[in-house]
Amino acid sequence: MAQAIVEVKHVKKSYKKRKTKEYITAVDDISFTVNKGEILGLLGPNGAGKTTTIKMICGLVRPDSGSILINGIDNQIKRLDAQEHISAVLEGNRNLYWRLTVRENLEYFAGNRGKSRKEVAGQIDELLVQFRLKDKENEMVNRLSRGMQQKLAIAVAMLAGSEVILLDEPTLGLDIETGYEVRELLRDIVRNQKRTIIITSHDMDVIQDLCERTVIINSGKVVTDDRVENLMRLFEVRSYSVKLDGHLSEEQHQLLLNKFPELIYSPDTYQSTIEVDLTKSQEIYDLFDILKLEQTPVDTIDRKTINFEQVFMNIVKGEKEYALSERA
Amino acid sequence: MRFLNVLNANIRREYIMLKRYLPNTIAMLVTFYVIFLGMFFGISLVGDPSTQDTNIQYVIVNYIFWFMTMAVVNDIGWQITNEATQGTLEQLGMSPMGIWKIMSTRLISTTVLDFVMIVALLYLSMFTAGQWLNVDVISILPVLILTLISMFGLGLIIAGFTMILKQIQAFLQILQFILAGLTFVPLSVAPFLAYFPFVKGIDMVREIMINGVSINEFAMSDILILVFNAVFYFALGLYVFLSCERYAMRKGLLAHY
Repeated sequence: MAQAIVEVKHVKKSYKKRKTKEYITAVDDISFTVNKGEILGLLGPNGAGKTTTIKMICGLVRPDSGSILINGIDNQIKRLDAQEHISAVLEGNRNLYWRLTVRENLEYFAGNRGKSRKEVAGQIDELLVQFRLKDKENEMVNRLSRGMQQKLAIAVAMLAGSEVILLDEPTLGLDIETGYEVRELLRDIVRNQKRTIIITSHDMDVIQDLCERTVIINSGKVVTDDRVENLMRLFEVRSYSVKLDGHLSEEQHQLLLNKFPELIYSPDTYQSTIEVDLTKSQEIYDLFDILKLEQTPVDTIDRKTINFEQVFMNIVKGEKEYALSERA
Repeated sequence: MRFLNVLNANIRREYIMLKRYLPNTIAMLVTFYVIFLGMFFGISLVGDPSTQDTNIQYVIVNYIFWFMTMAVVNDIGWQITNEATQGTLEQLGMSPMGIWKIMSTRLISTTVLDFVMIVALLYLSMFTAGQWLNVDVISILPVLILTLISMFGLGLIIAGFTMILKQIQAFLQILQFILAGLTFVPLSVAPFLAYFPFVKGIDMVREIMINGVSINEFAMSDILILVFNAVFYFALGLYVFLSCERYAMRKGLLAHY
């Protein structure tokens, strides 16, 4: 059985708006757990309560009620003890001192956690190589590219040596190449260094690529807590688009509609298109049997696949629609 | 041991910053040198020759302490504001050592480095002017350390308020004049100020430097007030800082500036 390292239990948090004095519920009775050694994606639209949740896990914001255990330690009762087990990159490149060099930043933040320079020198060298920052170690942070700054911020969190690392939007604002490099680094950290990572991101490709499980938050509540592959399967469609060199006969069209009532046929002089959703994969044979009747030439067949972004949208939209229908 | 590592990291950071902002540091050093020289020569030119030595010493001691209170009390407010604006305050908040320890080591680092620079400049100015002040290190040091501890307490109070109040810059600017007032006013004028964080200590340092009083000549009550101030203001500062930190965490104020 998987061992929980972060346990969020019935956490609530609301803020008072300064001008109107009304209370805004940011997080409304959220519970979930993160297991040792997994990468968990914490998702949700803007204003869903993600950042508040992350900051409560970090011990930077106190919940109104509920508790958060980090490695079994309640982070409200023993905040500093809990923080031994957690580090975070919250605002990416803004989490660094821009007038210190790469190495100085690493040394300074390790120093603030009570570690001496000698103690961490070897680890710093390893991290610089791993994060491909070795040739920039004496460069000031303000002269680095955004991608390098981001990598350094992650390296700083790594150097803390904590079991849990929280990353808020780790690939935001990065070019494609660096984005992939960061993904590889994170995958490597979990696989080879047995750390636990919690990621928030708007980049669903990153989540789909890295995370085994996601917790989706909307309007301060947990909407979904499931494995990524289960969610993908839930929304999976077998939707095909078949392009024909020519037309269907009247009879073929009728037969197809009888078999697939939802089918869309768009005739065209040069290239007609059939769009069809199959409920079973074997139904593709029925489709081709009908095309074979007239030896209709098939140009291309495309299967539309769903990506995690669509899954996420479906979940969040479904939530909204459900809420609206409830209200009605 | 871990606290020493935090202290070491922060002294090193302070030193690197001084080096990195070298033009700024040089400008500061030159300004001090010029001001010290101005004091030595200016007072010798316009002052009354019979009280000349006393005047020079009085003004110089006051000036050094004003600078030190600014470096300790005011600077920490600016530091918190900068950290919050940069986005690094939350990272400090993630340290298992606690923000207050990091901020205390910042206070110590600024004090130590500024003090070393200012003392070096003082000696350089004395050498240039050919006038030597009576600096009884053995008597001054314990008084100075106790005074600094009470100043740190005040610094922590300012740091705490800065964490939760956004518009503190205007207050910090006014504060430097209040601090100037407190450093320059002699205790004989307003005896109740003895219970203020650093006024008693500065008064005692003036006694040592100007009237040549040695540490064992002070009345026990003087020493007790000094010790009481150090303990009381540091404890109060820590209490206020931790309360402000808790409040900031309840309201989620560590990041939003």
